[in-house]
Amino acid sequence: MKLKILIIAAIGIFFSLSGCESVKPYQRKYLNDYEMKPGQPGSRRFEEQVQAYREGSSGGGSSKSSGGCGCN
Amino acid sequence: MKKRYIVIGLLASSLASFAQRPDSTYKKRKLSTTDVQIIMSYYTQDNDHSAVTGGLGTEDLQVYATQIAVDHQRDSSNSFHFDAGLDIISSASTDNIDFVKSSASKIDARTHVNTGYNRKFKKKSISAGASGSFSIESDYTSVGGALYFSRLNPSQSREISMSLQMFFDDLRWGRLHDGHPEKLIYPVELRNKEWFDHYRRDSYNLELGYFRIINKRMSLGIYPGVAYQSGLLSTPFHRVYFSDSVRRVENLPLSRVKFPVGIQLNTFLGGRWIARTYYRFYWDDFGVVGHTLNLEGAYKMSRVFTITPSIRIYAQTEADYFKEYRQHKGAEEFYTSDYDLSRFTSLKPGLGIRYAPYSGKDRTTFNAIELRYAFYLRSDGMAAHMVTLFINYSQEKKKNGGNNMPRQ
Repeated sequence: MKLKILIIAAIGIFFSLSGCESVKPYQRKYLNDYEMKPGQPGSRRFEEQVQAYREGSSGGGSSKSSGGCGCN
Repeated sequence: MKKRYIVIGLLASSLASFAQRPDSTYKKRKLSTTDVQIIMSYYTQDNDHSAVTGGLGTEDLQVYATQIAVDHQRDSSNSFHFDAGLDIISSASTDNIDFVKSSASKIDARTHVNTGYNRKFKKKSISAGASGSFSIESDYTSVGGALYFSRLNPSQSREISMSLQMFFDDLRWGRLHDGHPEKLIYPVELRNKEWFDHYRRDSYNLELGYFRIINKRMSLGIYPGVAYQSGLLSTPFHRVYFSDSVRRVENLPLSRVKFPVGIQLNTFLGGRWIARTYYRFYWDDFGVVGHTLNLEGAYKMSRVFTITPSIRIYAQTEADYFKEYRQHKGAEEFYTSDYDLSRFTSLKPGLGIRYAPYSGKDRTTFNAIELRYAFYLRSDGMAAHMVTLFINYSQEKKKNGGNNMPRQ
């Protein structure tokens, strides 16, 4: 069942990518907005770090930037 | 006929008057940009499942964190990064290791620095960089390094990236207080023997990225990765209570492999709403499988104010080695009662407000000030509050004698 969902998601992503349109640099008013930035910009970074300590999983676009155990 | 000649003549003269002429006073000017970011945050949590006391006991913790990051772009090719921070940690559970060594650590501190260099190679739109980091707290010293690479396609609509981070950690106690690490610190009643003959932990994180502009309002990023850890993955002052009343120090395997993959889809909806959607799937060989869904809706109240409500939902399975207080059996090879490795779900609603004033040519002002609050609730009972203040300021400097000006 999980594999099916993954395959469907992969196919969906493939088709969504193949339908991409060409966007000229002067047409990127919306894409250049601060809130459209990829990753976790600004104050979100601190919350990412806390979550990496308090949960078993990490990574996937939110890698930690320095060492530390968070073992308290 | 005459009219036609007059029109052609007028057009030719107007074009000639607008045409560019060689400017003998023109000099190529370079811009250097300095971007300063300050983060101040407060975190508080409480629960009754501390791993220091074997899964039963206070987890009361407060962290005051401050960080400053400076990015200096010297010219269009070279940029430098530096950040440093100090976390003041007040931990009630650490005080339960013993009442001598760790009592001072009821108020602990973590200091960290990170510096790097990045270079853009214009011909192939390639960027490459390297960085080094160092962090220290009473029970932990970490030295790290990282390599970065990214490449944009000619139309700048696709980017592939790769980063390799490495951390080399020393878990011996004492370097922060007198500069000389002494030994691993075990719970006070379990110091009759050395539980581990190694004190290092090495981590290697390889992360790939594929970023794609879908259309004028939508972008997609896919971030698969692999992480490998080896060495002492147990925390030497975590207790485990067994069903037969035996007490031991937590013991975890000497290596761990993690596979995360994150997908982020950002969409500008209408004129004021931006939807930020993020999903991550995670698997590791400890038996933890995690799913994260983060939804944010940034609403532009005006040209300078943006409000961002968000919700994050997370679920994970428990590690193969986790059991609750007094549930472990004596014959087990690996064991922990750390609830960070238990099965749980968590919910984190949050709200952020960002003020980004327009900075004029002759004014000195902040680029942006952002305040965020989030409440974190874990299904095992843990509740936490996070408040973060983020301040950003940038300045552009014309290298050939131009004016300094803040950047919007």
